[in-house]
Amino acid sequence: MMPYVNEYDTPECKTLAETAKKSIRTPDSLGLDRCIQCGACTASCPAARFTDYSPRHIVKKVLEDDRSVLESEMIWSCFYCYSCNLRCPRNNSPVTIVQVLRQMAINEGIGVEKLAYFLEIGEYLAENGASKIPGPGVKNMERDLGEHWIKFKKNLESIRVELGLSSRDIRNTHGEVQAILEGTGYFEREKWLKAKIQEKRLHQLLKNQCVKKEDKSGDFSFENDRGYTGQAALII
Amino acid sequence: MNAALDKTAVFICHCSGNISEHIDINYLKKTLQAEGVPVFDYEYLCSREGQTLIKNKISEGNLDRIVIGSCTPSKHGTLFKKCIQEAGLNRAMLEIANLREHCAWVHPDKAEATEKAISLLRGKLRRLENIEPLEEIKVDIAPQALVIGGGIAGITAAVNLADNGISTYLVEKDSSIGGNMAKIGKVFSPDKLAEECAMCSLSPLMNEVVVNPKITLLTWTEVDRLSGSAGNFTVRLRKKPRYVQDKCTGCGRCSHVCPVLVENEFNCGHMDKKAISLRFSQSVPKTYCIDPDHCLQLNGETCGKCAEACKSGAIDFSQKEEIIDLNVGAIIVATGFDEYDASQKPQYGYGIFKNVMTQMELARMLGINGPTKGTLLKPSDFSMACEAIRSSTGTCGNKNSSDNPSDNSNGTGTPKRIVMIQCVGSRDEKEGGNRYCSRYCCMAALKHSSLILKKYPDTEITICYIDLRALGFYENYYRAVQDMGVNFVRGRPAEIVEKPDKSLVVRIEDTLDQRIKEIPADLVVLSAAMIPSRGTRKIASVLNLSQDESGFLKERHSKLKPVDSSLDGIFVCGTAQSPKDVTDTISQAGLAAVRGRAFIADSPKALVNEIPTIDQLLCTQCKECLKCPFDAFSLKENGKIVVDPLVCTGCGYCTELCQNGAIQIASFMKTQLKAEIEGILKEGDLLGFVNSGIASLTCDNIGNSVLSYPSNVKLIKVPTNLVVDKDLLLHAFKCGASSVLFIEDPPDSPKAEVIYPLTVSHFEKLKKEMGDSGSRLYFKKAYVPNTKGLAGTFTSLAREGEMIK
Amino acid sequence: MKTIEDIPDRQLLLFKSCMVGQEYPGVETSTRYVFDRLGVDYCINDEQSCCTGIGHYTDIFEGLTTTAIAARNFAVAKRCGYPNITCLCSTCYAINKEACEVLNTNTEIREKVNSIFREQGLEDLVYEKDDMNVRTNFYHAVEILLSKANKIQEQKKFDFSGVKVAAHHACHYYKVKYLDVLGNPENPQLIDTIAAACGADMVRWYEDRTLTCGMGFSQLHLNKNTSLQVTKKKLDSLQKAGVELMIHMCPNCHIQYDRYQPVIEKEFGVKYDMVHMNIAQFVALSMGADPYKVCGFQTHSVPLEGFLEKYCQ
Repeated sequence: MMPYVNEYDTPECKTLAETAKKSIRTPDSLGLDRCIQCGACTASCPAARFTDYSPRHIVKKVLEDDRSVLESEMIWSCFYCYSCNLRCPRNNSPVTIVQVLRQMAINEGIGVEKLAYFLEIGEYLAENGASKIPGPGVKNMERDLGEHWIKFKKNLESIRVELGLSSRDIRNTHGEVQAILEGTGYFEREKWLKAKIQEKRLHQLLKNQCVKKEDKSGDFSFENDRGYTGQAALII
Repeated sequence: MNAALDKTAVFICHCSGNISEHIDINYLKKTLQAEGVPVFDYEYLCSREGQTLIKNKISEGNLDRIVIGSCTPSKHGTLFKKCIQEAGLNRAMLEIANLREHCAWVHPDKAEATEKAISLLRGKLRRLENIEPLEEIKVDIAPQALVIGGGIAGITAAVNLADNGISTYLVEKDSSIGGNMAKIGKVFSPDKLAEECAMCSLSPLMNEVVVNPKITLLTWTEVDRLSGSAGNFTVRLRKKPRYVQDKCTGCGRCSHVCPVLVENEFNCGHMDKKAISLRFSQSVPKTYCIDPDHCLQLNGETCGKCAEACKSGAIDFSQKEEIIDLNVGAIIVATGFDEYDASQKPQYGYGIFKNVMTQMELARMLGINGPTKGTLLKPSDFSMACEAIRSSTGTCGNKNSSDNPSDNSNGTGTPKRIVMIQCVGSRDEKEGGNRYCSRYCCMAALKHSSLILKKYPDTEITICYIDLRALGFYENYYRAVQDMGVNFVRGRPAEIVEKPDKSLVVRIEDTLDQRIKEIPADLVVLSAAMIPSRGTRKIASVLNLSQDESGFLKERHSKLKPVDSSLDGIFVCGTAQSPKDVTDTISQAGLAAVRGRAFIADSPKALVNEIPTIDQLLCTQCKECLKCPFDAFSLKENGKIVVDPLVCTGCGYCTELCQNGAIQIASFMKTQLKAEIEGILKEGDLLGFVNSGIASLTCDNIGNSVLSYPSNVKLIKVPTNLVVDKDLLLHAFKCGASSVLFIEDPPDSPKAEVIYPLTVSHFEKLKKEMGDSGSRLYFKKAYVPNTKGLAGTFTSLAREGEMIK
Repeated sequence: MKTIEDIPDRQLLLFKSCMVGQEYPGVETSTRYVFDRLGVDYCINDEQSCCTGIGHYTDIFEGLTTTAIAARNFAVAKRCGYPNITCLCSTCYAINKEACEVLNTNTEIREKVNSIFREQGLEDLVYEKDDMNVRTNFYHAVEILLSKANKIQEQKKFDFSGVKVAAHHACHYYKVKYLDVLGNPENPQLIDTIAAACGADMVRWYEDRTLTCGMGFSQLHLNKNTSLQVTKKKLDSLQKAGVELMIHMCPNCHIQYDRYQPVIEKEFGVKYDMVHMNIAQFVALSMGADPYKVCGFQTHSVPLEGFLEKYCQ
């Protein structure tokens, strides 16, 4: 399959740094070129504290125009908490650069299987004008949160009525959201993503059969943490 | 040849090939000689031999007017003027054609460059036909200097001025001189790999200020207003009441009996000072001073204990504020720095966690005259331990401190693990931070580490840095401190965390081994940035000095005029100008003193005489010229309008204001400019009127940058384009100009900020008045670095002109 | 930098949050309860859609879609005469503010969005440059509450003095557009000031005060272990500081702390003594609102009965 073109998030440029700077996701005044590798971002980063993720390292890769960063699992660890954005003394913004990198990876079909989990959000938004926790997430939550939450979810409509709200939080967008998602090409992209995910699943299935690997973690281990424990902070 | 020019000669400088390789000098000579003008040429006219040649030819030929074709007049103009003056001619009788920057260096085609050179020389010759000698305008310069700020910069400047025979006033807003250097205890030394006692270097200098008969010291005094002009400033000072007369002997009895404890600014806010006190024990002058905000007696309560205790009767509650007006020739501003308020970075916990302090606070603590008498303590244990020290050494600094305060070194209050964080508020683009490097903090951190390790060898010290900047010989000091066993971690810490026992953890990525570290600490010291002091900010607005984006006082040129402020006669040095250490401050203060002295010694000062001349026959006293934005004009009692040469900037706005044509600028009379236009222009030329300031420098820089533009671009220097009127423009078009370009100074200095908008509206007015040909009138703002842009404008406009032709 | 004087109390569009609506509807009713009593002029408009935040930050929506949906919501706000978008959720706040900046400064995107509107026959949604002002049209409900802290203090019915309370300020409020935060973004005090006005005894500083809640959008679902470790870190330090009530300002943090506190207790074998509330719920409660019919505490996972019995009798 052809790579997906997403000209505003990932404008076609000679280098990763240029793409990052021109992307709609990063601020105009992005201080990417001014990075002095001081590590304030990594030291402030929750993901870096519990895994071997490092925003400083990612910025370095981008400045070196090392495209292998797109293949790296690392870019999928960011919490989008923007702590690096707040702390960087050079007004760089690793968090928004990582967003661009993820979009670039997705365009090339890398890591798309992670999106399968969330694809429902778009369809639901078009239909109801609101977002919701996607189906697999609900399943996870039911398992984790147990009876109390399941019961609450069942009673949500009557609780809302009791609070004086409409029974369901559904917005009346007159079909406009649906039309906008069509206009921006969201549905096309969704279709492309689904096909790409299917392609990768088949590929994975074949591979698994070849090596006869015993892996019972279920569908693409969505419900599992990747075996990516990271390291505890070091005390010197 | 015109009869007025029969005693005129042209001199051409080869500039060692710079000119002669690009211009056919023989052809040029032949052409002009054929027109009856004697032409001489020489390898280096600026050399002693070159000048002798000019002088000899003047006396041999009884010459009275000279044209020199050489490099830009801004380089050797003064030299050549002096040369012809020595030969007995008036300065006005010399014109210089710029054959290098405006010809040889910008027009690659030799024939074209030669043609243009000839036209430029013709222009200057035509101009000389109409020249009249100019009277020299001279004023006496007030022989005294004022130094504002009594820190190490101001003290050094004042002592240097005095040593060079200049009577100097030194004004300090605090009750003692000494500034920040008095606070820091020890200073780092690049050559001895050791720390020197700051007070030991400073004290003799401070005493010198008192004993030197040429220095008048005014402490507890602030500068309120400045009037007058360079060479003759009037400065209004406000001397606050000390409530203690000069006969104070400094015995300290008053302070001993004073019942009010106040916050001690000198000791970074510790409550260890009385409402009557010296700033510090080595204060100069050693005259006590009452804090009017806290003194009971001055706030309506009955106390007066100090007056009772004073044996010399020096306490005087009736003292009043004094206003002092000084007349000085030059001013040196040395108003110094403040430490950055680190509480603007709450992630580092300053002001939230007790055991976080700044380097300046640490310096005070390590100082033997500091709040702990030099004992290193965790501030969380401070009050307790401090009380112990104070009771053992007695209050108000009595000298019975025989107990060694470092006895406490094994006590609980001594921090074992110290982390220093560099670049707090420096190299920081975020809100509240400063983009610049503060220059001194790396060395301060190294110095304090060394001091602590010498006294408390078991201390573990970690310095968190981004780049360690130990410039020049300081690298040796850095090595020495490394040898002492200080840890260095490269990274900017994210935050500091406080544990329940008040100990701290610094969270940082060690970017060299790419690990996040949590460094435990008993004390964290923040190397906070150096920012312009409140005094510096205030003086900038009182004196109307240019500041940079951070508020430091801007020097005129970082290399060529590093201590000249934006105003003539006002100089700047020390940390008021930019962040720097004591060593650099002292060097710079010395230079400021030299520049100040040179300015005063150049008395009587010959003023620029290219100022308005008023034709009293044409003047109708309509008073339009009184609208001068610099207030240079006044109406005398005898009904005559006069101009003050001290105030006039020569901008030429008055020539536009005057409806009767009574005002013209000397050397830029309409007849002279017309004559030059006639001399230089050919059909299809682009004529540029260039402001003689920044714009002119930019035009010269095109040549220096090895850029080129067409040779039909002809430039004429004017004070500003305000002297160009409609009549002159019509004349230029008549003489063949395809278009006319105004090249103006950008509004970057206080003077240009006033003039620039005037030139813009003048241009717009002319454009309208010129009707159809208004479209051939252009305006360009020239910044010195933008030589490429200006050359581009020249090229495109000249091309357009050629197309029309 | 925003100042309290700049915060409006007129023409506020109370921007509905999907996560509030589905998980903690009491946050919306509490905000309305408090706004009504403080005399705030606001409206709720059902035509307003989701901001796309959940999809945007799980990398599903590209920037163009997010910007176009935001432009539509701006048109809704302007059309109903309530142009001051006031969010219950910090991600709605950040998304709307960023989209507005893009629409005002990026001509190419603005024209693209408008051409999509025209193609789809939605001419009345067309966004003209500066239709909305990034600095003056976007607020978080907590900012409105802060500007009314004095009034809240006057109207409080319960006094929470002695209750040890800590605040968690939402990352997408103060770390995304950090120049437009009330106070220093490195030490936000909005919730602290409001809760203190209700009499609470604030724990102003605790370890990891600025640490994110751990939700991390896709992280909770794809890297649950790491996600919960982050959450646990914060809960641990609050427990250490003896905090009884944690107050937040964003439904995402709310889910993470309230829903997952019992999960963390189970999975990591720890025990926490704190309960959770949104700041609007806390203010409503202190002004005398019914804990269930207004604050909707029955939707919480960490039971509040004990807390209510202890302090709201």
